[in-house]
Amino acid sequence: MTEKVMAMSQEEVLNIALTAGKILLTSGAETYRVEDTIIRLCAWRKMDYVKVFVTPTAIIIGDEKAHGFTCMTRVTARTTNLSLISAVSEMSYSFGKWSLGYKETKLFLEELRKLPVPSKYVTSFASGIAAACFAVMLGGNFADFGAAFLTGFAAMLAVKQLAVLRITSFWENALAGMIIAFVALTCCQLNSDCTQEKIIVGGIMPFLPGVSFTNGLRDFMAGDLLSGNSRIAEAFLFAASLAVGIAVVLRIWLA
Amino acid sequence: MLVSILFSYIATTAFAVLFNAPKRTLLPAGLIGTVGWAVYLLMRDYLSYSSPLSIFCGTVALSLMSELFARIYKQPVTVFAIPGIVPLVPGLPIYQGMYYMMMNAYSIGMEKLIKASLEAGAISLGILLVSGLFRIFKVRRDRNFVYSRIKEQ
Repeated sequence: MTEKVMAMSQEEVLNIALTAGKILLTSGAETYRVEDTIIRLCAWRKMDYVKVFVTPTAIIIGDEKAHGFTCMTRVTARTTNLSLISAVSEMSYSFGKWSLGYKETKLFLEELRKLPVPSKYVTSFASGIAAACFAVMLGGNFADFGAAFLTGFAAMLAVKQLAVLRITSFWENALAGMIIAFVALTCCQLNSDCTQEKIIVGGIMPFLPGVSFTNGLRDFMAGDLLSGNSRIAEAFLFAASLAVGIAVVLRIWLA
Repeated sequence: MLVSILFSYIATTAFAVLFNAPKRTLLPAGLIGTVGWAVYLLMRDYLSYSSPLSIFCGTVALSLMSELFARIYKQPVTVFAIPGIVPLVPGLPIYQGMYYMMMNAYSIGMEKLIKASLEAGAISLGILLVSGLFRIFKVRRDRNFVYSRIKEQ
């Protein structure tokens, strides 16, 4: 049943495990999920001595023997892509019945990584809809719905457009905050039905670091203290940068 | 109330799109967020519990639901839990806290920020409770898997 996997050399399986782990980590999986997936992939090859250490920025795979192997990789950019997490998890569970050889598997993982993500406009539209719905959930009216849609859409589109410049996430979020505050205040100026608070809160919802926060807590629960701390610190940093952006515009506007 | 529950469904689904969730999980993922938000609203408005307690119960409900859905749809829990948690994130107190601090009203600002941190803490307790419980089963299953592979050697 596992002939194809057993036919691969240990280095090849490790290489596959490393690539799979890297895809998981860049897609925003929790630390324990990356570690478990790598160990599971290696277990299919009967390599039970493999040890993994994962932080949000690096993966290190090694073994406990004195003359063992080690490989590591660095992760610098992390997004949230639940499709990839799902696909790689599925692969790790079905690796025993795998019908592909080493090269094909590497190719398979490469193609996974190149799968099309939703375009800028779809993402921005989803962000706008989410923002608009939150404005209504907080008790907003129809004018708030429209204005919050605009804020969510404009902010996400601007962030996605500027992604090519590779500015750090701190300034990305601060910029998003500034755009949200600016659009919201303009809408309030133009239409007296709008409530500034509801629009801004709706608009910031897509940018609040809920994912980092949730994953950080799950890391803590799994005993990955280092990753848990860094993810929660990241969440606080992003929330603070968003607040900085909003505060700057509000302060200038209201002064 | 019904309107806001309906909108929580749309908002959660939009978030699932934003996080690029697998297509066939988009609609169930929206349901998760709706469950969390509905439990929260019911507890807060009809049973008049405090807002952190209501958020805690909402989080527990939605985490249990996402563990269930993860097993039905054979997906990682994250696919459902991450979009589902979003409606409960305390965006309003965070914004109000920042706003009052900016207006030099430090005491009200601090009050709002403490409220926000209590609510965030309630979310984390809810997640920790459920994921801790379910981890017991998961760890045992994974260990059996690795052992059975080694024994075959």
